[in-house]
Amino acid sequence: MGESIISIKELSKSFGDHEVLRKIDIDIDQGEIICIVGSSGSGKSTFLRCINKLEHQTSGRILYHGKEIRDVQREINEYRAKVGMVFQSFNLFNNMTVLQNCMICTRKVLHISKEEAFDRAITHLKEVGMAPFIHAKPSQLSGGQKQRVAIARSLCMNPEVLLFDEPTSALDPEMVGEVLNVMKNLATTGLTMIIVTHEMAFARDVSTRTIFMDRGYVAEDAPPSELFTRPKNPRTREFLSRYLAG
Amino acid sequence: MRYGLLATADPQTSIEWMIYLTKKYYRMFLDGTKLTLYIAVLGTLIGFVLGYVIGIIQDAKTGQGDNLLKKGCVRILKIIAAAYVEVFRDTPMIVQAMIIYYGIRQLGVDMMPVFAGILVTVLNTGAYMAETVRGGIGSIDIGQREGAWAMGMSPMKTMLYIVLPQAFKNIIPEMANTFLTNLKMTSVLNVIAVQELFMAAKTVGGNYYKYFESYLVIAVIYFVLCFLFNKLFNFLEKRLKGKTDYALAVEYMDNQ
Repeated sequence: MGESIISIKELSKSFGDHEVLRKIDIDIDQGEIICIVGSSGSGKSTFLRCINKLEHQTSGRILYHGKEIRDVQREINEYRAKVGMVFQSFNLFNNMTVLQNCMICTRKVLHISKEEAFDRAITHLKEVGMAPFIHAKPSQLSGGQKQRVAIARSLCMNPEVLLFDEPTSALDPEMVGEVLNVMKNLATTGLTMIIVTHEMAFARDVSTRTIFMDRGYVAEDAPPSELFTRPKNPRTREFLSRYLAG
Repeated sequence: MRYGLLATADPQTSIEWMIYLTKKYYRMFLDGTKLTLYIAVLGTLIGFVLGYVIGIIQDAKTGQGDNLLKKGCVRILKIIAAAYVEVFRDTPMIVQAMIIYYGIRQLGVDMMPVFAGILVTVLNTGAYMAETVRGGIGSIDIGQREGAWAMGMSPMKTMLYIVLPQAFKNIIPEMANTFLTNLKMTSVLNVIAVQELFMAAKTVGGNYYKYFESYLVIAVIYFVLCFLFNKLFNFLEKRLKGKTDYALAVEYMDNQ
């Protein structure tokens, strides 16, 4: 047995007759920065949502530190507290300020004291450069600011793994940079990250391992230096040439 | 007493009669108004709580991994909730009042008409509010819940801290509406001998055979009450909207 944090064993997911994920086997080790790329509809987001249990797999298993996560709400909650997620559409709580957004889950899930929750919130909001906005409501922020708050909010839980579901896809081009910079900084802290993205340059520069997904399969899984320069799978080559040309 | 029955200063016009009746029976009108408000406020508030509970039950979902006991319980609760909402939305309140009042009396329980009146109002409000709450919950983007779930918050806490506060804000106008409806619907409770405002008018009108004037008096009272409450709710709604600006926390500006 290796030291994998998360092991995915033969994970499949179908929506009705439509097979979205087909027998995916992946081990995720401590400190890895994994970027998942692929065309729309290849199952990247569904895969990520399965890892967080927002989607129930049709078959297959997810092991967390060697222990299977069953479909029991309490086990799922404990697991999710350790495996955070950042969404394309931010999903900040609209009824709360930035500060409350960053404190509610640490208070109500981890049950830490108000003072500690506040300290954690400020620390992580500073990290993403959003501390001055603690009194703002999500509706008063720009997309890039919202996403940075969402990242800080996830960090407050002290997660072992952070999942990013196309974190910059809903942003205006000039805001993509600020979010990617935050993520680049995070990558240097040793946090394990799994990132579904269309930002090829980011994947090439930041990831330690890049996965190309195609029609529900893991078509290629290699270090970015290999995947981006010498792709083995013809589908990868085709996909990359389309991307790099465009 | 200034006006005797055969006194020369007997009221002639309808207006005079209204003033005359109001002066003579102000105590009855006042007590009727108080009781109407009492039943409407209490019935609506408890009805809201009931509506929230039923609405949440109707929205509850079970996961694939839940055990059979939990699935069974949720299912039974849902059936009961759905039946309750259906029955109370599809029958008139006046009929419900009769059935509940006389039904419980037949069981040998001596129930005060006021209590029965409040019970009917609660059950009626609960059924309508359940639908409103369900709609309110449905209007909140699923992403709000996923954001909380993804950090390990339980579905119940997510409902309590994230979804309901937002749904509540959205359905305030509908809640105000329900209260005003209840305020007026208490008038049907006269059929089970609740001494509310309608009953007062009926009694007063009967004394002099001046029904038109008597009912006109309570129409004015209903109107004024509803008008004032409407203004109050509008004011509260504006207050709840909150500030549109925010202050920068300058103490954390240094690392920008």
